[in-house]
Amino acid sequence: MTQIIFSPSPHIHTARTTGGIMRHVLVALAPAVICALWFFGIDALWVLVTSVISCIATEWLITRFMLRRAASLSDCSAILTGVLLALTLPSSLPLWMVAAGGIIAIGIAKMAFGGLGCNIFNPALVGRVFLLISFPVAMTTWPLPIGRFATADGTTGATILSQLKTGIANSCALDLPAMFAGDMGGSIGEVSTGALLLGFVYLLVLKIIKWHIPVSIVAGLVLVDLMAGFPPLPDILSGGLLLGAVFMATDYVTSPMTNRGMLLYGLMIGIITAVIRRWGSYPEGISFAILIMNGATPLINRYMHNTRFSGRRKEATA
Amino acid sequence: MKHTFKKGGIHPGSFKTASPDIELLPLPMTATVLLSQHIGRPANPTVQKGDKVCRGMVIAENSAYISASVHAPISGTVASIDDVVLPNGKNGRAIIIKAAPEEHEADTAARNSYWSDTIPAVLSRDLSESLTADEIRTRIERAGIVGLGGATFPSHVKIDLKPTQKVDTLIINGCECEPYLRCDDAIMRSCPGYIAEGIELIMKAASISRAVVAVEDNKPQAIEAMRGALDSMHNISVMSLKTKYPQGGEKQLIEAVTDRRVASGALPVSTGVIVQNVATAFAVWQAVATGQPLIERVVTITGDIPAEQRRNYIAAIGTPLSDFPFSLPDEARAIVGGPMMGKTAVCLDAPITKGTSGLTVLSGKGRRPVQPCIRCGACSDVCPMGLDPYLLATYGRLRMFDEAAKADVADCIECGSCSWSCPSSRPILDFIRVAKQRSRK
Repeated sequence: MTQIIFSPSPHIHTARTTGGIMRHVLVALAPAVICALWFFGIDALWVLVTSVISCIATEWLITRFMLRRAASLSDCSAILTGVLLALTLPSSLPLWMVAAGGIIAIGIAKMAFGGLGCNIFNPALVGRVFLLISFPVAMTTWPLPIGRFATADGTTGATILSQLKTGIANSCALDLPAMFAGDMGGSIGEVSTGALLLGFVYLLVLKIIKWHIPVSIVAGLVLVDLMAGFPPLPDILSGGLLLGAVFMATDYVTSPMTNRGMLLYGLMIGIITAVIRRWGSYPEGISFAILIMNGATPLINRYMHNTRFSGRRKEATA
Repeated sequence: MKHTFKKGGIHPGSFKTASPDIELLPLPMTATVLLSQHIGRPANPTVQKGDKVCRGMVIAENSAYISASVHAPISGTVASIDDVVLPNGKNGRAIIIKAAPEEHEADTAARNSYWSDTIPAVLSRDLSESLTADEIRTRIERAGIVGLGGATFPSHVKIDLKPTQKVDTLIINGCECEPYLRCDDAIMRSCPGYIAEGIELIMKAASISRAVVAVEDNKPQAIEAMRGALDSMHNISVMSLKTKYPQGGEKQLIEAVTDRRVASGALPVSTGVIVQNVATAFAVWQAVATGQPLIERVVTITGDIPAEQRRNYIAAIGTPLSDFPFSLPDEARAIVGGPMMGKTAVCLDAPITKGTSGLTVLSGKGRRPVQPCIRCGACSDVCPMGLDPYLLATYGRLRMFDEAAKADVADCIECGSCSWSCPSSRPILDFIRVAKQRSRK
């Protein structure tokens, strides 16, 4: 007996799923992860594994025992948060701190707000900022790259951004090609500009993200640099700017819905980042800038609606 | 660069695998003719139970300015005038005609000779010159012609222009942007000459000087056929549009062809454009040139059924869906229309109407489990009306109907692009429909 099913239109759907999108982002992160393992060796791997396990375990325990729902791990978003968090940490960070960061990222920033889709702030960045404020020394001790997947030899040094800030380095004397490749101190995933750009291209081609947010972030940063008389190129290549611009600020949940909103959001992130870098007390400001604009996203969504068919722009509704 | 509409739109794939040929479906022994097969007031029955009717005779006449008359699709006896179950499970009033075997035989013979002898013989190029605009319009009205693309707006009303309405362009909609369906493609490939004459008749009736036949570029043979038929007509052109759903939407099509935009809440005619479907143009030609009212139409049977069952038929209005030769998969949706905007049938005994362009059979339940909204913005990106579907759906779900009205929910054309594109399989359009219906004052 044939069963006839009644359902409203449309009756066909795109093949793209939430889990599929997360997996594409993970693939886009692969070059950065490979570079991280090359430059920082086995330590980076342990940080990565700890962070991912911590995030998955936190999400599973909360959904299973506090929310008493079926586990929601199949959408891969917890894995993605774990990888992103690890990429923002120094490879020498004690693993218990990494695990604590994962618990805060998923437990506080994501699940406490209602889980996937409901969080206001980017979970990975909340985890990172929690660690930065709680353990400032461990979080600013940067192992220098050793290369060839070797085990660490314990040499540490300041990042180029903090060298610039304290006046040790001269912005004109930097080795820009080495910076592009990632041969400098920094957190696990932020060093190789080339690998991050490869991921950016992958996401653009598959239409997972649009160009608006990353490009406007860089534009905002360059704008402030030019006004402050600072050379923009080392500023773009150093620190977590591209990791944040391509993979953190473009997080769907915490970024605006419309293109116009994205441009404003990105521009403000770029400006705030540059202001913190030039005049703030921290050498790096991209994490704070993204979190600040995450908080402004609901407001941007309220005032920047889609442009209607007739060309009219919709004003805010009550 | 090829034209298309600018805002939003999706590429759901074409799936146009039905045979492009058209064949006659045998007449039914019982025809169920609905009184409301069009937008506007239902037609008033002019026959009673027990009356003898013959094929093509008026059995219900238009009851208001926006209404259309209905004709007997077969000869026979009126068995009853009663409520019947529509494909969507609701009830609708219908005239049920039952044919005796000899009536059925005579009808079948007359119909075969009409399609094989009459139609090829009467093609002539001077019909639109020998008739006045009023005469053409009256014949269209008497034939009960409505928009055959699916909207079923009475055609004689659409071309009855007020002196204040200045129309300079007639767009003949051959986009057929719905996946799977192929009836318009088939009719353009088989009958381009008749469509061309139908276009001239509509132009004369509404005194419009220019016409554009708009076809998506995934139907190259249809474009070729129409170009060939319109070769000598300098005021009618064929425009090949870049394939994108929902190009066949009236507002999207007007923008794609003329770059004019219908304002929110305004009628399309305010831009100086009238849109008619290619199948409507063919029906107009049939009515004016051969005198046959709208008692049959081309219907595509397609979807997840064996390839040899995917075909186009000329079927009498009122034929039950179950009369078409197709086999359903075990778990199936029988969709009246295409997969984007068609409605699933609950009952295959329901009849086809003037607006039935096809039956798309899809296997499986069709919906994936709903996941949380990840605010990716895909629904806003693809909305051809530039709305904020995620927001309207939330308003619908939370019963915030006034807010939905302020956010232009009335502009939604229910094309389904938002629900199609949602990676979390959220029923966006379902909630928008709730908001749209409840916020209507």
